Amino acid sequence: MFCKRYNIAMEEILMQKLQILADSAKYDVSCSSSGSSRAANGRMGNGHMAGICHSWGADGRCISLLKVLFTNKCVYNCEYCVNRRANDFPRASFEPDELARLTVEFYRRNYIEGLFLSSAVEVSPDHTAERILQCLELLRYKYGFAGYIHAKIIPGVSPEILHRIGLVADRLSVNIEMPSRESLAAFAPQKKIEQIVAPMRQITNTLIETKSLKGPGTMFKGQNLNDAGNYLGPMGLDAGSGGDDSIVSALSLAKGGRGKNSFASAGQTTQMIIGAGGETDASILATSENLYRTFKMKRVYYSAYIPVVDSPILPDKTTAPPLKREHRIYQADWLLRFYGFTVSELFRSGGENLDPDLDPKVTWALRNLDEFPMEVNTASYEQLMRIPGIGHISAMRILRQRRFAAVHFDDLKKMGVVIKRAKYFVLCCGRYFGDRSFEQETIRNSLLQMESGLQMSMFDNDWKRLEEGARQEKLAAAGVI
Amino acid sequence: MRDYLYDGTFEGLLTCIYHHYYTDKAAGIYPRGEYQPSLLHGSMEVETDEEKADRVYNAIGNKISGYSLRLIYRAFLSGITGKENVILNYVLFGFRVGPQVGSLHTHPEVQALEDIVRKVGNERERMLQFVRFEVMEAAGGGPQILYAKIEPEHDVIALVAHHFAERFSHDPLIIHDIGRSKAIVAYEHDWYVTDFDGTHLPDGTAMMMSENEISYQSLWRTYFDHIAIKERTNPRCQKNHMPVRYWKHLTEVNGPVISA
Repeated sequence: MFCKRYNIAMEEILMQKLQILADSAKYDVSCSSSGSSRAANGRMGNGHMAGICHSWGADGRCISLLKVLFTNKCVYNCEYCVNRRANDFPRASFEPDELARLTVEFYRRNYIEGLFLSSAVEVSPDHTAERILQCLELLRYKYGFAGYIHAKIIPGVSPEILHRIGLVADRLSVNIEMPSRESLAAFAPQKKIEQIVAPMRQITNTLIETKSLKGPGTMFKGQNLNDAGNYLGPMGLDAGSGGDDSIVSALSLAKGGRGKNSFASAGQTTQMIIGAGGETDASILATSENLYRTFKMKRVYYSAYIPVVDSPILPDKTTAPPLKREHRIYQADWLLRFYGFTVSELFRSGGENLDPDLDPKVTWALRNLDEFPMEVNTASYEQLMRIPGIGHISAMRILRQRRFAAVHFDDLKKMGVVIKRAKYFVLCCGRYFGDRSFEQETIRNSLLQMESGLQMSMFDNDWKRLEEGARQEKLAAAGVI
Repeated sequence: MRDYLYDGTFEGLLTCIYHHYYTDKAAGIYPRGEYQPSLLHGSMEVETDEEKADRVYNAIGNKISGYSLRLIYRAFLSGITGKENVILNYVLFGFRVGPQVGSLHTHPEVQALEDIVRKVGNERERMLQFVRFEVMEAAGGGPQILYAKIEPEHDVIALVAHHFAERFSHDPLIIHDIGRSKAIVAYEHDWYVTDFDGTHLPDGTAMMMSENEISYQSLWRTYFDHIAIKERTNPRCQKNHMPVRYWKHLTEVNGPVISA
């Protein structure tokens, strides 16, 4: 009898902890479970190269990993953070074994692909990181868990603990938090940029040492990143120094680097908050580009700032999160990683911000009309990728077909090209198919008309999705239908 | 020309294709139960013949390709009415043009088959995402058993078996297709398909929920409710990714709620 009651009490406590620590973790962005293929070498589970999303929350974000904080008891007082010390708010911490068991039980019911473990800073960075490490080691070694683990690294953690976390995790991330040094100083005065950069550098150097640095998207395609010359020195890229992080060489990895003892095989990511400080889109993306080029991170994630605390220096609590801006920045981020664009190109002529009404590739094309219209039968792969409406798959199909026969306009649609955008920018066998004259203003207007018909019909002014009735009304009022 | 009626098995369908070449041209192939007699031509019930089926099976593999054979099998697994005729047309066309049928994606016979194959593949993917196991115990004790109910539109159960048999190789598991009254049973990397009614194990013992199952279900549901950001609520996006027809068996939507 006593035992039964004890069990119920334990369950209730776990339920409360899970509520509190999921609530605190939900603003973390990444939920990707891809990039790590792991054979079933433990007692349970494996990694699926492409990742699997198991559910979608009411906000439409995918749920692939059990995303929780280890604790939300924080010694820091960052302005933007829901877990800041000054916030009067329920607090909780997991026990290492408790969270490991919960992960395993969720995993075997096929609820999740693995664990995304972040944390507030309780007592000190090392104290918290040691608890996280203990949890992850229990998960891997005691429970034989071979699923996916994404571990958040807390700035200021000692290199030894970071290294050991890397040995059990598939992916590591250190939050850059803010797009600029100034914002970081203003909003998170207790976090120092050097403390954030040091673990990033150590992760990249260790990935080089284990010959597993892959880099973002296709940015470094064909280049060997795992050359000793790519080691990062204290000032960033410092060729040949072998790294001041003596720890990298001191803690030598179990041989091979791959297999069971690999270090963060799905690489490193980071995230930053958009719309809290006064940065422009150009400076945000320049920061990302710098992170991609220096640390060769797999991804930079962006999260539109959601006002969770009252603060004199932040947007007030009634401000809607800048979701549209976040969307455009993500699109531009893709252009950097997969389409061969640079930030300076995207902002070369005019503006410090992306055009909210048109996607960044179209904006770029309109500003560089002298490169268009482009003949699809002679353009190189790199050039094709720069045409709005053409992506990797359609570019490859165009290349494949034109070895046998010329590509005509009607073929483009079958190949998956988005005609409504591409038609203004291509020639097929010398013919132009845009419906108006080839001038920036006219093309822009026709594209805008098309986009606004779509966007206005789906969203209200705050970028919320409209119901069908309201949508029809709005379209009618604007004279679109 | 006549309509062939078969018993719904893959071998039966292949036997019909055999008869198309050696008995009489097929006007169409239909499963026996669903056939509406045609005014234009007569029909014939085809008895499944392993030997004839094998000959067609091998001929497809040798004269068309192993790749096409796999596509044909996947299309056969679909729940789409009329799939038999799509397969028949593809096979006839395939025997005419040979292995290159695999790359003629824009040809109507090929496109029709590949459409069906894509739908089956998509649903397979959905099963990897949305299968939810309950941890059960056999009445007489013994190891815990993972048990999941599914109701897929297409018969994809065998296509997901390998994935789950590998992933949970240390737990015996049963994935039960309620609509088709069958299941895959997997343990230690091996699996097989069997008829199944859902309350008893293949050896006849009854199954019941393990002690902590309800708690973990409600923990998962609680987590699901709390991880969404209120300010970003977007039900249309949620439903696009997770069609409502799968919600019936999702623990996070229908699981028990125990308030803390």
